[in-house]
Amino acid sequence: MILVFGEEFERDVTYELVALAKRLGDYKVVVREDFDDIDGDVIRVERLNWKVVKELHDRFKPEGVLFANAPSGMDLAPKLAGITGIPMVTNVIKLENGDRFKATSLTYGGKVLVDLEVDKPSIFVVNRGYYDPNEGRGTPKVEKLDLDFEDDVELIEVVKPEEDVDISKAEVVVSVGRGIGDESNIELAKELAELLNGVVAGSRPIIDQGWLPKSRQVGRSGKTVTGKVYIALGISGATEHVEGVKAKNVIAVNTDRDAPIFRIAKVGVVADVNELLPVLIEKLREIKS
Amino acid sequence: MRIGAIVRIVPDLVMGIEIEESEIVPFKYVPNERDEHALEEAVVFKEKTGGTLEVVGIVDDELRDDEAMEEALALAYAKGADSLKKIVLNRRTFDRREVARAIADHFKDYDVVMVGIQSIDSFAGYLGGILSGVLGYSYVGGVVGVDYDGGLIVQKELGGGVVGKFRVKTPAILGVVSAERPITFVPLVKLRQAMKEMKVEEIEVEVPDMGGIEVVRFYEPEKPEITLLEGDVEELADKLVEVFKSLSLV
Amino acid sequence: MNSNIKIFMINPDKSVTAMDMLLNRLKELTNNKYFQCIQCGTCGGSCPYGAYTPYTPRRMILAIRLGMVEDILNSNAQWLCTACQTCTSRCPSRIQITDGIIPALREKSLLEGKVPEELSTALINIMRYGNPFKESPMKRDGWAKELDFEVPTMMKKKSAEVLLLPECFGAYHRRCKQATKALAKVMKILEVDFAILGREERCTGDHVRLCGEFALFEDLMEKNMKVFSKYEFKYIVTHDAHAFNALKNFYGLNVLHHSQFLHDNLEKLKGMFNELDYTVTYHDSCYLGRKNGIYEEPREVIRSIPGVRFVEFKRNRENALCCGAGGGGIWLDSVMREFVKVRPAEDRVREAKEVGADVIVTGCVLDIPMFEDALKVTGLDGEIVVKDIAELVLEALEGG
Repeated sequence: MILVFGEEFERDVTYELVALAKRLGDYKVVVREDFDDIDGDVIRVERLNWKVVKELHDRFKPEGVLFANAPSGMDLAPKLAGITGIPMVTNVIKLENGDRFKATSLTYGGKVLVDLEVDKPSIFVVNRGYYDPNEGRGTPKVEKLDLDFEDDVELIEVVKPEEDVDISKAEVVVSVGRGIGDESNIELAKELAELLNGVVAGSRPIIDQGWLPKSRQVGRSGKTVTGKVYIALGISGATEHVEGVKAKNVIAVNTDRDAPIFRIAKVGVVADVNELLPVLIEKLREIKS
Repeated sequence: MRIGAIVRIVPDLVMGIEIEESEIVPFKYVPNERDEHALEEAVVFKEKTGGTLEVVGIVDDELRDDEAMEEALALAYAKGADSLKKIVLNRRTFDRREVARAIADHFKDYDVVMVGIQSIDSFAGYLGGILSGVLGYSYVGGVVGVDYDGGLIVQKELGGGVVGKFRVKTPAILGVVSAERPITFVPLVKLRQAMKEMKVEEIEVEVPDMGGIEVVRFYEPEKPEITLLEGDVEELADKLVEVFKSLSLV
Repeated sequence: MNSNIKIFMINPDKSVTAMDMLLNRLKELTNNKYFQCIQCGTCGGSCPYGAYTPYTPRRMILAIRLGMVEDILNSNAQWLCTACQTCTSRCPSRIQITDGIIPALREKSLLEGKVPEELSTALINIMRYGNPFKESPMKRDGWAKELDFEVPTMMKKKSAEVLLLPECFGAYHRRCKQATKALAKVMKILEVDFAILGREERCTGDHVRLCGEFALFEDLMEKNMKVFSKYEFKYIVTHDAHAFNALKNFYGLNVLHHSQFLHDNLEKLKGMFNELDYTVTYHDSCYLGRKNGIYEEPREVIRSIPGVRFVEFKRNRENALCCGAGGGGIWLDSVMREFVKVRPAEDRVREAKEVGADVIVTGCVLDIPMFEDALKVTGLDGEIVVKDIAELVLEALEGG
């Protein structure tokens, strides 16, 4: 049986863990908040801290424990491994059950994959983006457990970013370059960012014109973006700009087929940003409604 | 306030690594970047609390005299560490559980220990978190700031630019992701002086064999295909929507 | 080795104060000439950043005399310099401002650990990898692999008449390496016996010195000299004016700037030139012109290309305006931006338009990205292009 601990701070990730757990065998999902659409057996607890994790682990004696590579999972997993001495594998992108677990881990900054065989019981910290969250959705069977242990770590305040976000940590960044043409077209970029739950950024010329504040500059003399998706609109991809782009997936739109930005893009679109954006935004609006 | 900071060395990806099935062969080693942030944050915390800072390098026997470790400890000294230790593991291991148990005895004298959240070559554990489990200390990872108001206040990244403030009981281990200020520059003349002046206490430890994780093979991921799309704006927009869906953005 | 920089260790018994160290350094680099500053203000009036900086050189000297060094350093004025040499070349008291006052002040900031982040990263990368880009030294000959002929390396050849030195930007920077490739192609056409150091090459350090990291500069010089001494060559050719300056004036080696090299081969080249249809202006890079007196050779080369109409910048020769990359400037934009309203490079490209040029020909490889960026920002990138002198010559040889 697989014990899945839901992610406290980034909910969506929990669905991905469930999608994985389904392929491994029977499972139970432990969450703190209300999840009315998790597929499977759900255990709801008042608090999700390491003491609760340890208690449930002792109770259920799972063959495998899944955590997300996300703010709460990355804290709870090693604590459990340290207390119990159970083997722990991190950065997991693939996991299969058998006599032993077969895990694949992504390491060395994404340059190396390692296939592992792991004895049971073991703990796995799973990377985001490898399992389909839709497979984790369904109708839950919820059991409430009264486990309320006090923690040695207590959340006292959540500080939302001030007016201006830190683009370097944002998951989705919609970035504009000179190809955007007019300042008024930045509105389109802002709309796209909103539809994708992202933030707007720009290359240096855009900031120099004063169209975006300095905190939104991407590049050598600006910030380095490290999130999941970087959408480069009308950016040529000069060396100084590209030095700041370390996002996992780069999508670039430019009229110039030879623009250097395409060399770092996973998906490149040869088109005029100002023609493409309104159409794209329409389609996304339709999906949302 | 007794502060400890752990520094480790890792393969230098800039200089390149050779990926063989059974092992990774680095060309050179370099101080672990996350530990450099942990050290910087520890120095900041020392300045805030007026405490003492001891920096502990952890290295395996083969690499005990590696210049990267010398550099890491010299930088620590140049930045104001009060004392330096080097824990030498008697054998190399990738399993952080084994490292944690080997070094645990030497971390009982601190109120706060800062260590980088992970190192570039890790796939079997987070040293900070595991060590906290072994010692029974508090643990918070993803740390971007540490304060003291009579008790320990830790700032942790919660994703999307949101930061959580936590009150943490000491003794505590903190997995630092980035220091609250840019890494202090140490000019070469200071680094060289530090290398001459610094005194490092060397400690040998035995690494237990706990088993349970077997490396089958190392290999390179397939190079990602670069797709260049052209054509009608409507079609392109549709294709992009598909791409967004595949990335869970929609 | 012709170094006039001494590296003194920070006094172990801590009896020398930080202020003493600064004064010692100023004495060493300026011969205490700054005592003779007559406060005329020519320096500040000539400086491209004079209107923006809280401390012009004149004010810096006054502040140093009054013991107010921390005020200068806290204002960040010491970072508003791109080593253009205009102040130094015009100072009536002949005070070594560019190579003396500024680096000495910057050294103090470095020792205090207060360095702009962009610059700090570049220096750490140069220390660890011999280049500011955090690229592997193993890939330093990458540019040569993009050519359709083999560029010989010293490691194999052991000796050549010419050692071609691209320096960091010429080796790694996407745009700058086009100029390097053009130069190599011209050398091939001229059947020059040349070779490169490739992976054995590392930063020659002129920016490092001007940023106050003297120990690193000495370290680079030492390591470079060791490599140079392994091989035999008559002279070095480089298109990086800063490398040219370091190699000539500090390393004490036989070095030609590539515009001089092209000039030396002009008779051969003339016979092979095709006609080009450009209105060209030539930018006098600071380290070629003001610092090292090279003005006419590049002009003669350009003028000898048939069809090219040559126009002068209004501010030419000793009065040329800096592109903004020197003295670490290429890594100081984040600081500059807090003070400077219009970058000198932007001013310069507008000047090019004013004199009617459609091509700006440059001598130092760092000029290229500075001006191309400025053309984008000013919206002139459809009207004017930037070409290194080797690129122009290659175009004339290959037929436009």
